[in-house]
Amino acid sequence: MRRTPSTVKAVGCALAAFAGAFAPCHALAQEFRPTQPVQLVVHTGPGGGSDVLARALALMVERERLLPVRIQVLNKPGGAGAVAAAYLAEKKGDQHTLGLFTGVWLTTPLMSVEARITLRDLTPVARLVLEPALIAVRADSPYKSLAEFVAAARNNPGQLKQAGGSITSRDNVVRQQLQKNAEARWTFISFPGGGERIAALLGGHVQMMVIEPEEAGEHIRAGSMRVLAQVSETRLPRFPGVPTLKEAGFDVPVVPQVRGVVAPPEIPGPNVEYWESLFRRLTRTASWRKYVEDNQFQDGFQSAAEVARFYDELTDRMREILKDAGVNIVR
Amino acid sequence: MEVVSGLLSGFALALEPVNLLWCLVGVLLGTLVGILPGLGPPATIAMLLPLTFNMNPAGAIIMLAGIYYGAKYGGSTTSILLNVPGESASVVTCIDGHQLARKGRAGPALGIAAIASFIAGTVGVLGLMLVAPPLAKLALAFSSPEYFALMAFGLSMVVLLAGRSMLKALLAALLGLWIATMGTDLFSATSRFTFGQLELLSGIDFIVVAIGVFALGEVLANMEAREEAHALPVPKGVRKLLPSLQDLKDSRFAFVNGSVVGFFVGVLPGAGSTIASFLSYGLEKAVSRRREQFGSGVIEGVAAPEGANNSETGGALVPLLTLGIPGSATTAILLAALVLWGFKPGPLFIPEHPAMFWGLVASMYIGNVMLLALNLPLVPVFAQVLRLPVYVLYPVIFGVSMVGVYTVSGSMFDLTLLLVFGLLGYLMRKLDYPAAPLILGLVLGAGMERALRQSLMMSEGSLAILASRPISAVLLGFAIVILLVPLFSRINAWRLRALEPR
Repeated sequence: MRRTPSTVKAVGCALAAFAGAFAPCHALAQEFRPTQPVQLVVHTGPGGGSDVLARALALMVERERLLPVRIQVLNKPGGAGAVAAAYLAEKKGDQHTLGLFTGVWLTTPLMSVEARITLRDLTPVARLVLEPALIAVRADSPYKSLAEFVAAARNNPGQLKQAGGSITSRDNVVRQQLQKNAEARWTFISFPGGGERIAALLGGHVQMMVIEPEEAGEHIRAGSMRVLAQVSETRLPRFPGVPTLKEAGFDVPVVPQVRGVVAPPEIPGPNVEYWESLFRRLTRTASWRKYVEDNQFQDGFQSAAEVARFYDELTDRMREILKDAGVNIVR
Repeated sequence: MEVVSGLLSGFALALEPVNLLWCLVGVLLGTLVGILPGLGPPATIAMLLPLTFNMNPAGAIIMLAGIYYGAKYGGSTTSILLNVPGESASVVTCIDGHQLARKGRAGPALGIAAIASFIAGTVGVLGLMLVAPPLAKLALAFSSPEYFALMAFGLSMVVLLAGRSMLKALLAALLGLWIATMGTDLFSATSRFTFGQLELLSGIDFIVVAIGVFALGEVLANMEAREEAHALPVPKGVRKLLPSLQDLKDSRFAFVNGSVVGFFVGVLPGAGSTIASFLSYGLEKAVSRRREQFGSGVIEGVAAPEGANNSETGGALVPLLTLGIPGSATTAILLAALVLWGFKPGPLFIPEHPAMFWGLVASMYIGNVMLLALNLPLVPVFAQVLRLPVYVLYPVIFGVSMVGVYTVSGSMFDLTLLLVFGLLGYLMRKLDYPAAPLILGLVLGAGMERALRQSLMMSEGSLAILASRPISAVLLGFAIVILLVPLFSRINAWRLRALEPR
């Protein structure tokens, strides 16, 4: 609840930067250990997806005693991730600040001139989880398979509706890929909140949505929702009978929904290694595995070098998909 | 029968000493969070979430819910005393609440806020207990066209919020609607009116505008007036510090109105408590016999919105607990909390975990009693704040506003915005533009635009969808009636003048 008074924080940061600038790098290689609480920056307000993950992560790191200091979550909401990215960029060289990135950190700079900081400008540390998704219809829907839905859309262009998030969300990316693959067309209606999307589907106002497994599970069990396919490379353990996109006959590359960790620019290599190894150890703990399983995420750990490569590939792919979706690409 | 046995087992759980303690902790924290402008229930609950991992889930949900509805009680305090909305839902309370305080009736205003909160809060829980499942189904019938109609109905209230000049009220509302369009457009991902500012990509938080226009604007205008050292009269004696029988009588309808409007709006996942309190205030004014006195400090102008935002809590828990659908930031984080504790909120939550549901319901009855017992005795204490000389009070309001805004976003940019809107509020006061329509336009603007565009996507561009769906047609009909109210009263005035003997 309490933030460190900003002056104290500023002095602390200045000292840290000072120490960082003057300490010989080789000594740091063996000796870097955080000496003050680590700020973990998230781009949502309290309660958002990244915020909840960050707070759970901080708690697990503390419980497993992986870090000599505490992790504090710092909310920098605004600009669809751009404010948090800009904040990290300003913290150049700060050894006690990290950020939790998601896909919007990648897409926002592609389409907003104002958002000048890309993940490339920051220091990648690790990728943590992949979030698979399901394609769901209402239980009484006439479409028993994704192929049937797509065929119906092809026969009635624009008549069927899908509820989703913003135009740059994964929901729309999946739609764009399927439409291109099958030469069909249906309408995409944006709702800002996940709750509103589910309400629109259950109320019969739209015919289909892309939904997180955790959100869908209970509606399936209660018999109000049916799943047609899963947006994932492999079948999820809790949905063994549901085909992946590829198995359902749509050979489109799965664009993963990711969450991972970045550091500010100009962080020395040994520090990156320190953080990378911390998160590698975290993802091997039992409590992390349970968290990933409970939320039906997939373990998506990648090292710093892999994240950089992954980022470049994903950026190119997203640029193409968003261009197809009619989004004005500025970078 | 099921209800009775459920409730009994619920009370058995909620009355366990440890759960009573968590309930008390929750409502105390909630009241505090409500009083502090800026810091709201979603942020508080998110920050306390890690602490609940080691708690019994029943105790934890009882405490977190206590924060949620407790904050609605506390929110009115600074609205009435300082004209600084303590919570977004308490913006409407400023309109008449602070005017009452300026008349020396801060005590009765605070008292009626607590009483209305208690009545409506309890009615909200009753609704949650009795009609949750069928109502949740009804809520699903609401989609974009209905939301558009509901918000159009809300926006039509602008004619009721107008002061002397309808034109100025409409211009203020337009300004609010314009501010609401700022930021990244959801549908096209285009930036609108961001002036190249990174911070504006996500739009302007309405609480910044509300605090700036209401609180800072008021302080600036009053400073100019060079009032005497004691800004506001505070009568001596406890009796004058609590609502009189007449006040309660005047608020009779407001209690019912607030309870019912708040609950129904709460059930809809796409509306929210600020809209609930605006609608309830508008309705109260529309049917009032002393309509022209609204805005100058009438007691039912506090009772209606304060009631509405409290019974909204019970309503908002309906889709959360029966369908697992959160309709607001606070219910979204409660959902996250349930998942973290290992529950699966959804259609089967209540049947499979009846103890949790009934324990929560019972604790909310208890919590509301605790809040009334907590808040009423505090009224005379809080009212003393106004004894502060203006050279202390005004800097306090400035400080409280700045800190409040900073705790929401932690952004210096928002502080600059706050000052800009403070100046705007000052200018509007000088030029006699009413502030409430601006806030109304801002609150409704984004949702209304979104709902209209969603509706048109559903109907492939045909506006007929708004009139052909029954709920939306009825709501639009109400909106038209409200728009005609000023016309009726003018015709009535002509008629009376014509009837006057010579």
